[in-house]
Amino acid sequence: MSQSMKNLLKVVITMVLSLVIGAIFILSIGENPIAAYGALLKGAFGTKLGIGTTIAGFTPLLLTSIAFAVAAQAGAFNVGVEGEVILGGITAAYIGIHWGFLPAPLLYLACFAGAMVVAAAWAFIPAALKAYYNVSEVCVTILMNTVALYIGSYLVSGPMSAGVATPQTDPVLVTIPKILKPSSANAGVFLAIIIVLIVIFMLYKTKWGYKIRTVGTNPEHADYVGIDAKKTFINAMLLSGMLGGIAGCIEVLGVHGYYLDGFAKDLGTNGMLAALIVKSNMATTPLMAFFLAVLKSGAMAMQQTTGVPKAIVDTISAIFIIIATMEFVIQIKGRRQKEQAAAVSSGEAPGTAPPVESEEKEE
Amino acid sequence: MGLMENLGKVFNVSLIYATFRASTPIIYAALCAAITQQANILNIGTEGIMLVGAFTAISVSYATGSWFLGVIVAMLAGAAIAMIMAVGHIKYNSEICAIGMGINLFAIAITKFLLNTLFHTNGNFSDPKIVPIPRVELSFLENIPVLNQLFNNWCFTEWFVILFIIILQFLFYKTVWGLRLRAVGQFPMAAETAGIRVNAVKYQAMLISGLIGGLAGAHLSLGYSAQFVENMTNSRGFMGVAAMYFGGANPVLTAVGCLLFGFADSVGARLQAYGFPAQFVLMMPYLVTVLVLAISMAIKLGAERKRESSLVTGDSH
Amino acid sequence: MREYVVEMNHIVKSFGEVRAVKHGEFTLRKGEIHSLIGENGAGKSTMMKLLYGMYPIDSGEIIINGETMKKLEPKIAIDHGVGMVHQEFMLVNDLTVLENVILGFEPKKGLTIDFAKARKEVEHYIEQYNMDIQLDKKVSQISVGEAQRVEIIKTLMRGVEIIILDEPTAVLTPQETKKLFEILFNLKAEGKSLVFISHKLNEVMEISDRISVMRQGEYMGTVDKDKTTPLDLTKRMIGREVFLNIDKTYSKVGQTILEVKDVWVPALKESSKIRGMSLHVNEGEIVGIAGIDGNGQSELIEAITGLRKVEKGSVILNGKDITNLKPRKIRDAGMAHIPEDRNRRGLNRSMSIEDNLIAVEIDSGAYTKGALMNIPAQDQYSEEMVKQFDIRPTDYKLPTSSLSGGNAQKVVVAREVSMKKKLLIASQPTRGVDIGAIESIRNTLEVAKKDGAGVLLVSAELEEIISLSDRIIVIHEGKITGEMPASEANENNLGLLMMGGTVEEEKGGEAS
Repeated sequence: MSQSMKNLLKVVITMVLSLVIGAIFILSIGENPIAAYGALLKGAFGTKLGIGTTIAGFTPLLLTSIAFAVAAQAGAFNVGVEGEVILGGITAAYIGIHWGFLPAPLLYLACFAGAMVVAAAWAFIPAALKAYYNVSEVCVTILMNTVALYIGSYLVSGPMSAGVATPQTDPVLVTIPKILKPSSANAGVFLAIIIVLIVIFMLYKTKWGYKIRTVGTNPEHADYVGIDAKKTFINAMLLSGMLGGIAGCIEVLGVHGYYLDGFAKDLGTNGMLAALIVKSNMATTPLMAFFLAVLKSGAMAMQQTTGVPKAIVDTISAIFIIIATMEFVIQIKGRRQKEQAAAVSSGEAPGTAPPVESEEKEE
Repeated sequence: MGLMENLGKVFNVSLIYATFRASTPIIYAALCAAITQQANILNIGTEGIMLVGAFTAISVSYATGSWFLGVIVAMLAGAAIAMIMAVGHIKYNSEICAIGMGINLFAIAITKFLLNTLFHTNGNFSDPKIVPIPRVELSFLENIPVLNQLFNNWCFTEWFVILFIIILQFLFYKTVWGLRLRAVGQFPMAAETAGIRVNAVKYQAMLISGLIGGLAGAHLSLGYSAQFVENMTNSRGFMGVAAMYFGGANPVLTAVGCLLFGFADSVGARLQAYGFPAQFVLMMPYLVTVLVLAISMAIKLGAERKRESSLVTGDSH
Repeated sequence: MREYVVEMNHIVKSFGEVRAVKHGEFTLRKGEIHSLIGENGAGKSTMMKLLYGMYPIDSGEIIINGETMKKLEPKIAIDHGVGMVHQEFMLVNDLTVLENVILGFEPKKGLTIDFAKARKEVEHYIEQYNMDIQLDKKVSQISVGEAQRVEIIKTLMRGVEIIILDEPTAVLTPQETKKLFEILFNLKAEGKSLVFISHKLNEVMEISDRISVMRQGEYMGTVDKDKTTPLDLTKRMIGREVFLNIDKTYSKVGQTILEVKDVWVPALKESSKIRGMSLHVNEGEIVGIAGIDGNGQSELIEAITGLRKVEKGSVILNGKDITNLKPRKIRDAGMAHIPEDRNRRGLNRSMSIEDNLIAVEIDSGAYTKGALMNIPAQDQYSEEMVKQFDIRPTDYKLPTSSLSGGNAQKVVVAREVSMKKKLLIASQPTRGVDIGAIESIRNTLEVAKKDGAGVLLVSAELEEIISLSDRIIVIHEGKITGEMPASEANENNLGLLMMGGTVEEEKGGEAS
């Protein structure tokens, strides 16, 4: 069985396992898990609105999950995507409201460019702190997410407030056309898919991608062959930030048409979740993002029709990720494969694993 | 004029207790992270362990009417969560950050789920039936103005944290177990060949860490307040991890780091009363944490550079 | 009484696909010194690590003092009287020597560690065996020889009767080795049983009672020292007679290619800090740097190659000042570098042979088209390299983690040598590779020199330094203690310089 087949099989088994554990939770509150899951699926796919909601949820998740995965390819654990989405969104809103002097096509471009620049600048802070001072990027990005949240909240309830009851800005002058009305799905999903394809191509077919992968798997080797590990690490984080910024921009221009406080809630976290489940594998991360989008969009329908609280969906996703991080390898040929797999994956663990101690070094 | 007067209102004696009060939950969280860090395990799951502890403490106190039972069960719940992490990380090679984040998300989701199903409520839960951790009244202080303000009416777990810092300091640096823990953290192969069961020590560290994390949560929900709020830890676990970095996993230094965050928090809260935008005040502890992290790592790096420099003479024999 | 204190029968052990021990046999008598010899990768260390319980055996049996061991881990091994001094010291840098010695067997006083009692016990052993050890220093501050004595004390403190020493002389000068042998003979006289792992035949002939040989994971027999000769042992070890002495050519030495001027370099360990070192390498010569591991060799090379900061002084390559430039700039100025640790730096083990071969050329445009990877060009180059350097397996799309030590090293050598840079730095180029690869790598260096490159060679093997170099520089604690043409060098005068002595001292007959 090929390695990728095995990986896929493992994901499927993990998925089933977490759904079973979720079913036990549902049973424990006296509900029928099959009915609940059925209602969930029906909610996500049963109606045009449902499909639209699923796609609307999928769009930002696709971008944020790839944002996390790209950073992970360079060995970074970027929890800060959520902050990048927020700041990208508020920047896009500012430009979209105030730069009316630009013709519409340029204004679109300006919104995206501004969102990308600001989000990348935000990502630069933890990246540089990690690269030059070895400050844990996990800690810094987590803390900075909260700071970004308050910055957005301050702007939208103060200087940029529309003056209505909810904390939101004036509407932007350009919007991304909606599809599948009345859901909030919009043409941004096509843009997101194209961007993600470009990123994946970049990572595997260009020298930039080669450098990122080299740094992510062995930074000391990178420095030695003349690839600046620190710079490459920062570049990957900048790219990750840009992707987050784009997600924010699409949400503002496509979903809401203005900046709404708290719009980015859990977008970064869930993207990270999707990527973590498949170990930031670039090919399967989008699939996982889609799966989570289905869960989210069906959850509300499930809560309404069956009385199972939608928090169960988050619980299942969390269990999913906890099991997925573990390396119990599908045993086909016994021990030997297990040891091999452990050796391979410890080499893959972003930036944390020490150089693999090999038996050939023994003498 | 007003400014000096206002400054006087911000920086007065009561600020000292306010700082300590705000710091205590973070100190517990930081100690939870410190003990695993000594075994070279970065306990990113501190936040989740703490949140589960907070919820358990409230539920048990509400159901039994005993704060003590609440604290004990919260500690056990924390330990259970920590053991999931331990098994994943030690036995199944989970990347520690990944499983830690998984634990944190799980904690948020499961407490929300249980809040819905057990207490049929959303957002937060408070009830007169919840018995909080008692406050220690020192009647002999009542007539002494400053000392009374400073030391009277502390929550029981606030007094305990001081003792606890000392206990951990002793445990790490004076006991057999502490020596082994540090050896396991710094060079596991050396510990292994010296006849120490490395994984056993790691499990023990995680177990104790879980107990402390549960206690941290219990203090937050039953001592610091008397209610449960969704995601009430609000990054305190992460601040604890940051403080642990600041203190190099040394309990006393780590606690000093926590006091810094507590101070930022308390000053911020007071400034809010003088027209400072709420958001800036709220983000203060987070900003300070990032700054402190950056500065402490820069200092550490500088010290390392100096120690490694060829231009200064070390005490070579 | 039983004849043997240790019996290992029909041992098999694999790591992943690599069969480290295919068939291992070993016995140890009470009070003997039994050497286990073989070339790199023969499985001798693995055999003894199995005895010490560091990995479980796949099949076979291990009998210690008549008891068949069902489960074995270091703790159990120690309880059964087996101790091991590892080649890489198992000492925690940030703890003191005393803390390291008692680790795992700490005397207690109430809740705390009884350091006074521990100190008394340790001092007893220090006196008994006349060892020079400073108990209150941190391990990071002591010398290699001292660290080794600490390791021996550690095993003695645990009351073991069987002591395994894994290549203990690899990090010692000839003079320090003599001291160690005295200690070992003392231990033997006390009735301890010792296993001595080595690949240096002269040492083995000096110290052993019996000698067992392993080759490529297979047991090749045991002989009494008195009934064998070094030649016989070589044949058993290698399967054929090998003469590693390559024909040294004396090509015309050209102009200076590398000049290191009064360089100061930081290091983690005090003894590795470089304090004012000057040297030069000319075109068409091999300059060997001899010294005990940890005396600043690694730091010097890292400083020259841009991987470590130079705090004072300057490095000139090909007439260009390259002090503190980035590695890429230094490579562009004409340097290639075979690093000392191929797994840490030399290779990216999770990427393919091909990806590793093109790593240094990623920005040169040779294997890219614009920003796109130029796969046909990469394939062609990889095919050539695999053929020219006899890299096996030949499928260059395989990850380098699947290669043996020798083939992995060939990938590094191929990448660095094929560009024909004017300066080639080779640090421990043959460490941990099989004899075939050693021959081919040494020849490659010789060819590079003939082609006019300047070669700076660092090796822990004196034999390698002497046989390859034209000129030898000896360093000790970050300073140059001597320099001589290879023709004048021998193990004695180099060894003395490696200890920090001077040649004059030796002439005066004052070997410390």
